[in-house]
Amino acid sequence: MKHLIYKSIVIALSVSICCSCKPKLTAPAPSKGSLDLTSYVAIGNSITSGFADGALSYNGQMVSYPNLIAGQLKLINGVNLTFNQPLLPQGSIGTNIVDSAYTNTKYIYTAPLQLGYSTDCLGVNSLGPIPVATVGDESAVSTNIYASQGPFNNMGVPGARAIDVATVGYGNPANGIGNYNPFFTRMAKNQTTSSMLSDAMLLNPTFFSLFIGNNDVLLYAANGGAPPTTITSQTAFNTSINTIVSTLTSNGAKGVIGNIPDITALPYFTTVPWNGLTLRQGQADTLNGVISFLGVNYVFTAGNNPFVIYDASVNTPSHARVMQSGELVLLNVPLDQIKCHKMGTLIPIPDQYVLTATEIQNIKTATSAFNTTIQSVAQAKGLAFVDVNAFMSQTQKGISYDGISLNAQFVTGGAFSLDGIHLNPIGNALLANQFIQAINTTYSSTIPQVDATKYRGILFP
Amino acid sequence: MNKMKKLLSLLILISPIVYKAQGFQVNLQGQAQQAMGGAGTALIQDGAAVFFNPGGVSFLKENSVNVGATPVISHGVFLESNTNATGTTQSPVAFPFAGYAVWGADSSHKVFSRFKFGLGAYTPFGSTIKWQDPWPGRFNLTEIQLFSVFIQPTISFKICNKLGIGGGFVYATGKVDLQQDLPITFQNGNYGSGIIKGNATGYGFNGGIYYKPCNKFSIGLTYRSQVNMNVKNGTATFNVPSSLATDFPNGSFTSSLPLPQVATLGLAYRVNEKLALAFDASFVGWYTYKSITFKYADTTAQLQNTVLIRNYQNAYSFRLGGQYKILNNLYGRLGLSYLISPVKSGYVTPDVPDGNRLNIMAGIGYNLGKHFAANASFTFEDITRKGDNSLSIIPTPGQTIYPLSGTYKVFIYAPGLSVTYKF
Repeated sequence: MKHLIYKSIVIALSVSICCSCKPKLTAPAPSKGSLDLTSYVAIGNSITSGFADGALSYNGQMVSYPNLIAGQLKLINGVNLTFNQPLLPQGSIGTNIVDSAYTNTKYIYTAPLQLGYSTDCLGVNSLGPIPVATVGDESAVSTNIYASQGPFNNMGVPGARAIDVATVGYGNPANGIGNYNPFFTRMAKNQTTSSMLSDAMLLNPTFFSLFIGNNDVLLYAANGGAPPTTITSQTAFNTSINTIVSTLTSNGAKGVIGNIPDITALPYFTTVPWNGLTLRQGQADTLNGVISFLGVNYVFTAGNNPFVIYDASVNTPSHARVMQSGELVLLNVPLDQIKCHKMGTLIPIPDQYVLTATEIQNIKTATSAFNTTIQSVAQAKGLAFVDVNAFMSQTQKGISYDGISLNAQFVTGGAFSLDGIHLNPIGNALLANQFIQAINTTYSSTIPQVDATKYRGILFP
Repeated sequence: MNKMKKLLSLLILISPIVYKAQGFQVNLQGQAQQAMGGAGTALIQDGAAVFFNPGGVSFLKENSVNVGATPVISHGVFLESNTNATGTTQSPVAFPFAGYAVWGADSSHKVFSRFKFGLGAYTPFGSTIKWQDPWPGRFNLTEIQLFSVFIQPTISFKICNKLGIGGGFVYATGKVDLQQDLPITFQNGNYGSGIIKGNATGYGFNGGIYYKPCNKFSIGLTYRSQVNMNVKNGTATFNVPSSLATDFPNGSFTSSLPLPQVATLGLAYRVNEKLALAFDASFVGWYTYKSITFKYADTTAQLQNTVLIRNYQNAYSFRLGGQYKILNNLYGRLGLSYLISPVKSGYVTPDVPDGNRLNIMAGIGYNLGKHFAANASFTFEDITRKGDNSLSIIPTPGQTIYPLSGTYKVFIYAPGLSVTYKF
C-alpha cells in the first residue's frame, strides 16, 4: 500500500511538472543591415518634435516618431544609441508659441488642448477641445537648455520650414519678433551662429531622418492663404532640400526622407463643412431679403446652405460670395461668431479662415512639386524614401490596425490629435512604422516595427 | 463617428480557442477512448458508447454508471511578426466532463434484453482562454469562455448478434463569455472594454450503427447532427468613458452559434486476446460556420450589430489507438490523432489560433473486482499556427487592413480520470 501511495505521488508530480512546460516562440534577432547606427539625428518640424494637441509637451515628445524609431533601433544587438531630445520639464503642461496673427509684435504662449465640455453662445453644452489652462507654460521654454541638456538628436523644431533648416540665426531674438523661432532659441547651441542643420552636424550623424516641408505650405494654408503668409517658392525649396541632404550625407551618412502629405486633407481643414449654414425657412427668407446688400447673388433655403465668405478676388465692394463645394473652412473659425453673430451670412467669414478653390490649388500644386523634389533627391542619394503622402491618404480612407480603426476624422477618427494637424501617439507609432519599413527595404535591415497598440488615441472624459 | 461603428463591428467574437481538437470541438468524452487517440466508434468498451456509438450500446454486457473529468491545462504564446510583440495566455484550467449511465434488462427477457437505455452528459464543444493584458491582440480578444453540455437520452437496439442500432436526442445548454478591450481611451490612459455574456440552448441528435461480423472485426458508423446554439437574452456591457456612455448602451443581445455535424466511420480489429486496435475517421461539417452575428437590442450610430466573418472549411480527423491487456485487470493504451484544422489562412484569430495537429495519447485501465473500474488518460497537443486575421475583418470602403499577424503556439495537457460502477 505504501508502495502504491509513493507511486501515485510520483505520477501526480510528474504529470503536474510536465503540464507546466510552456511553449516558446523566439523572435528573430533584429539586424541593422548596411546601416551605421552610431549617431542618429532627426530633422523636421513640429511633427518630428512630438508636438500634439496644439502644444509641445513632455508627453508628446516622448512619443515623437523619431523617438519611437530610436527605441526600435536600440533593440538591435550591438547598437548603442542615445537619442537625446530637448525635453520640456516632465511636470509642465507644455506650450505653443505663436506670432499672433502675424503682427510681429509679440509671441503668445498657448496651452495644449484636451477634450472637455464647454458652453457656446447659444447656451448649448457640448464636448470638444478646450485648453487645459488659460495660457501655456512659457517658463518651460524661455531658457536655453543646450548647455544643460544638449546636444540634441531630435532637431524637430515646431514651425520650421525646409527653407529655415539651414538658416543661421534661426533662433536669434535679435532678428525681432516673427523673424526667429523661440523653440529653436531654446535648444540652439549658439543663438547667433547656429542653424538647425549646423547643430545637427555637431553630432556627426551616421544615420538621419528628414521629414520637412509641411510648413512650406501649411503656414499659408493655416492662415487661409491670407497675407502675409506665402507658399515657399519652388526654387527656394529645391535649394534648401539639396543643401540639407548634401550636408547630411557629406560624411557618408545614410538616411530616410519623408515626403509631404496633402495638408488640405487634415482634419483642421475638413471638419467644418462649406455648407454648414443650417437655416430654417424663416431665417432663409430673412436672409434672402437682405443679402443683396452684400452683392451676393444666392437664394438661401431651409436646411444646409453655403457660408458667405470674403474673397478678395470677387469684384464687388463687399468682396463677398457664397462658398463652393470643395472649398474649406478652417477649424479655428470662431464658431460663436457664426452661431450668434451672423458670421458666415451678413458678416462674410474673413479670408484667414477659408481656403478658396484657388488657394487649395496653389497648395496642391506646390505640394506636388515639392514632393517631386524630395523623391528625386532621395533617389539621387540612394536614401530610403517614405511616401508619407500615401500613408496620410490611407489614413484618410481608414486604417484597421490590430483591431483598432483609425481615420482622419476630427476627434472620432483617432489618428489625429485635438489640434487637427498633428498625430496622436498611435498615429506617431504608425508613422514611425512607415519610416521603419522604408529603412528596412533600402538598407536590408530588420528593425522591428513599433507595437502601435501600446499607444493611445484621443483621451475621452 | 465612423470609428466607433467600426470598432464595434470588430467587437466580440465567439469562436474560441480550443481546448482540444479542431475549432472548438472537444474530444474528451471517454477516458478509454481518449487514450486510444479518441477512437471508439467501432470498439465498444463502456458507457461512453452513448457518445461514441449509440448503436453499440446494446452490445454492452453490463449496466454501468461512469463519470469522468479531464482538466485541460493550456499554455499559449503569440509572437507578432512585424513588431516581435508577444502575448501569453494566463493558462486557465478547463474542466470538460463526461458521465454515462447504461441500463438494460437481463438476458432472461427475450425481447427487452435486446434494448439498452442510456443517458449521457458530456461537453463536446468548448473553449477557454485568457490573454494577459496588455497583448497586441487585446482589441480582438482578451478573454473567452465557451462551454456547452450535451444531455443525451439514448436508446439502442440489438437487431441481431452482429448488428446494433441506436440513437439519442440531444439537449444542449451552454454559456458564452467574451471580453475584449475597446480602443477608446479614458482620461487616465486606460482602455475601455466590452463584455458579452449569455446562455445558449439547442437541440440535436446522435445516431449510430454497430456491426460486428466476427469476433475479430467490427465496424461502426455514427452521425451527430448540427446543433444551433441560440442565445436569446445575453447581456452586453460596455466600459467606456462617460462622455461616450450613450453611444454604447448596455443591453441585451441575441445570437446563434452553429455547432457542426460530425460523421464518423470506425473500424476495430482484435488482433488476439490481448491486443485490440481501433481507427476512426471523421468528417466535421464546419462549413456551416461562416459568420456570427450579435444583434444588440439597443443599437446606436456607434454601436451596430457585430458580424464576425469566419468562413470555416470542413474538417477531417483521423484517430488510431491500441489497447493491450497487460494483466487480467490492467490495460495499457496508446493513441495518435491527426486533425485537419477548419481555420483557413486569413482567418487566424486569437480566439481560435487553430492549426493541423498531431496528438499523442496514452492511458491505463484498471478493473477493481467485478464492479469497479478506473480509467486514466493523458493527452498532449502541440499547436503551431502562423497567419493573420486579414479576411475576418469587414473593411469599410477604402480601408487598409493591418491585420493581427503572427505565430500562435499552444501546448495542451489533458490528464483525465474516470470511474465506473458496473452492475
